[in-house]
Amino acid sequence: MRSARGKAWVLWSMVILVLVTLALPTLVIIGASFTSGDIIRFPPEGLSLRWYRALWDLGGFRAALGRTAYVSALCTLIAIPVGTLAALALARRRMRFARTIQVYLLLPFTIPLVVSGISMMMLFGEARVLGQLWPVGVALCLINLPFMIWAVSSAVNALDPELENAAMNCGAPPVTVFLTVTLPAVMPGVITGALLMFILAFNEFLVSLFLTDSRTVTLPVQIYNSIRNVITPDLAAVSVVYIVVALAAIWVLDRLVGLEIFLKSK
Amino acid sequence: MTDLTRLALPRRRFLQGSAAAAAVLAAPGILRAQEKPAELIVRAWGGAWGDALKEGVGDPFTAATGIPVRYDFTEDNEIKPKIWAAVDQGRIPPIHVNWDTTTNATISALRGVTVDLSDLSNLEGLLPLAKPVGLDGYPIVNTYAYVYVCAYRPEAFPDGAPTSWNVLIDPKFRGRIALYDDGIGFNPISVIAGGGTVADIPGNMQPGWDFYEKLRINEPLLGEDADFTNWFQNGEIDVACTISVNARAAKQNGIDVAWTVPQEGCKVDTDGLWIPKGLPTNEEYWAKEFVNFALSREAQEKWCSALGLPPVFPGIEPPADLAGDPSYPTTEADFAKLVSIPSPVLVENQPIWFEKFNEIFQG
Amino acid sequence: MTADAPRPPAPAHRLPLRWRVMDRIEAVAAALWPAAFRRATPWAFLAPALLLVGILLIGLGYVISDSLHELNPATYRLREEYSLGNYAAFLDRPVYLLVLWRSLLAAVLVTAITLVFAFPYAYVMVRTRSGALRKLLLVSLFLPFFIGQVVRAYGWLIILGKQGLINQALEGLGLPAATLIYTYPAVIFGLVQYMLPFAVLMLAPALTAIHEEVELASESLGADWLRTFRHIVIPMAKPGLVGASVVVFTLTLTDFAMPEILGGGTNDFIASTIYDMFFQLSNPGLASALAAVLVAVGSLIVALVFRVAGTGTLGLRSGS
Repeated sequence: MRSARGKAWVLWSMVILVLVTLALPTLVIIGASFTSGDIIRFPPEGLSLRWYRALWDLGGFRAALGRTAYVSALCTLIAIPVGTLAALALARRRMRFARTIQVYLLLPFTIPLVVSGISMMMLFGEARVLGQLWPVGVALCLINLPFMIWAVSSAVNALDPELENAAMNCGAPPVTVFLTVTLPAVMPGVITGALLMFILAFNEFLVSLFLTDSRTVTLPVQIYNSIRNVITPDLAAVSVVYIVVALAAIWVLDRLVGLEIFLKSK
Repeated sequence: MTDLTRLALPRRRFLQGSAAAAAVLAAPGILRAQEKPAELIVRAWGGAWGDALKEGVGDPFTAATGIPVRYDFTEDNEIKPKIWAAVDQGRIPPIHVNWDTTTNATISALRGVTVDLSDLSNLEGLLPLAKPVGLDGYPIVNTYAYVYVCAYRPEAFPDGAPTSWNVLIDPKFRGRIALYDDGIGFNPISVIAGGGTVADIPGNMQPGWDFYEKLRINEPLLGEDADFTNWFQNGEIDVACTISVNARAAKQNGIDVAWTVPQEGCKVDTDGLWIPKGLPTNEEYWAKEFVNFALSREAQEKWCSALGLPPVFPGIEPPADLAGDPSYPTTEADFAKLVSIPSPVLVENQPIWFEKFNEIFQG
Repeated sequence: MTADAPRPPAPAHRLPLRWRVMDRIEAVAAALWPAAFRRATPWAFLAPALLLVGILLIGLGYVISDSLHELNPATYRLREEYSLGNYAAFLDRPVYLLVLWRSLLAAVLVTAITLVFAFPYAYVMVRTRSGALRKLLLVSLFLPFFIGQVVRAYGWLIILGKQGLINQALEGLGLPAATLIYTYPAVIFGLVQYMLPFAVLMLAPALTAIHEEVELASESLGADWLRTFRHIVIPMAKPGLVGASVVVFTLTLTDFAMPEILGGGTNDFIASTIYDMFFQLSNPGLASALAAVLVAVGSLIVALVFRVAGTGTLGLRSGS
């Protein structure tokens, strides 16, 4: 138990347990999406692609997918600078009221999503911007912003302040120091945070429900509304489409910059 | 202008005869008021419900008028604050027509966000059920009645259908029973099952709460329409109180489900259609035409047969599989076997009942 | 120094483009943000985030203001006059306190269980020498996100249901069927599974920052791995641990979907109650009062954690 072998044994059994728990529902849903029957079931009844076909033919599916991609991209593009700068400010400088600010910046998590959704509906309605897509992107960025901030904050520890000081002492001006020393060091956090922001925005339904209408509906909202009455295997098919897209994105990311970027700074 | 000449003349009274059409052409103001919108957005329930509306009302309406209908499947409770906020803030509401429970619609009417529908030509000759109770005019119009039946898995009842709602507190079915998560459809029945009478409602609900206490020990699942279907399908439950439409749709999808009206009776209620205030004049005009069309014999027959529910248009034959079914009341005597609570009583007491229901089942 | 400063020996076009661009940027930056402002730089960095979250602060203002007016059931509007009636109703009905307590307990349990399992996962992922394994562990974290919460819960029904895969397996072994779903533990389990990837992703960067040599040194001094973990790795990973626990705690406390779909309707959390007040009862006054209490409780606990444990990342450098 206390030996190196014990260590490997304990750690690995926990890791495998987590892996199985994470993977199990995904595998069941992937399997169920290929059913030729009318209900989500595992093992599936017969194999077919009929629910993928149904998905493709579904009115508005592709348009909703496009809108979802747009709001998710917008959310991520806002989150990267806003979250990174905030995290650097909080983690690297001694500030007054730092704790109060941290608690304030956690409001998106401490306020229930239902409440955030309704109050943003009132606010955006008052501002006459409801019915457009960009406020949805802003709202999605806002409700998940702590992820971006915390992801970058966690990576700040890899940054040695002496390095920044050294660069300054060698006469490097501030923007240069920021771009060549600070930013590369926290890059893993920025990438992790950005990816989380995108994924979460791509799946968010509760706040989006209040900020969209049937003309601007996003895919997660459409799915949420449809399952209120009936659950059919096309929902499993949606999940598989998502997974395939995600795997493709991860593969591209790995080829371009290497997945190691999540864990190691340059 | 040009599309008016090509306007497919609606089968029913969309324009009151050619004289009216001539008047429209003569008066540009009115013409603009009746200009067709690009589409009508109708909030609906999905699944079997939405399919029935599309087939029975939406598609024929589009065929008659050329106006496409878009369905918004936002839940009835969730569209409510969206519409209220839009009306309060003077914005155009997100939908043209709301298909709603009469109780919820009445609440929206009290809030003052509904358009009066008294001038619809098809209101004439409908059953009295169509008129909302306790409200002036027609801020909503009821379109059919429905029953919260006792749905069960025949396999679990080899001796035949359950005859009493007491089956819900039978320890044999512990953990295998289900109700709506807000007690809707069962609150009045629980009073009767608990030894009270219809006259006790709403004055003395205690027998109902006592019945719920026993029911809680029997570990019910609480859910919504889709949950019941899943639970029956996956063998999680044997009995549930749900709307007959859901049970019938599940059966039509090959799930082994039957339904019955036990001796204590079942709650009968109505759904209706209403139009939110704040729409542009022409859109409100065509939204009214949509509701008017939904009340026509043709639409009522198709829509309600698909749902398997008794329409407010008189004299329509029930679908073959529901003839004589107690969940399809048509005569006085049929309704007498069911429990109907006037909607003002429901509106006033639903919040109180809901809190009590929550207190018992979340405690 | 700027790009157009006189520079006789080297013609400007010989300078790499990058340098010239950088010089321009520095010049613009210096003009917009002179060195005298530098002390305020952190505030400038923070400003966008503070403003963005300000949207929610306005929303919170609505909430608090609504919570001070009672509903008039005759018009379904909030009354004009101020009152504490909604807060009185909250205290008056034990069920609200019970549901709040249930959510708080779940938040604590889920945070603890999630951290216990996320930590070894993050540790193995960071320390393994096999690139392929690291990628597998990393990808496994991201994939569950793409199965939305509701569909995921449906997957759990297939696995854990009365006639689900596990009970079928038990039956095959001649064992009695177990109730695995629609209970409080099922909700906790579902939430832990949902939160694990978040926690691992918060922990991994903190663990990366701990050099392996430190651990080796500890072990060469005779400490076994458990002691090394307890005295070296875990304290050094504190920023990540604080971050992960705050995120998991607050998200669980305000979660709405998981209790609704894995709890079978009788294990609601406070967010479900708030939802019901808004939508079933159309009573924004009472809903707002509950929401205000929840936000206050959540923020207080977070503030307490920060006070006791430091604000995570802030702690490490200033402490060492």
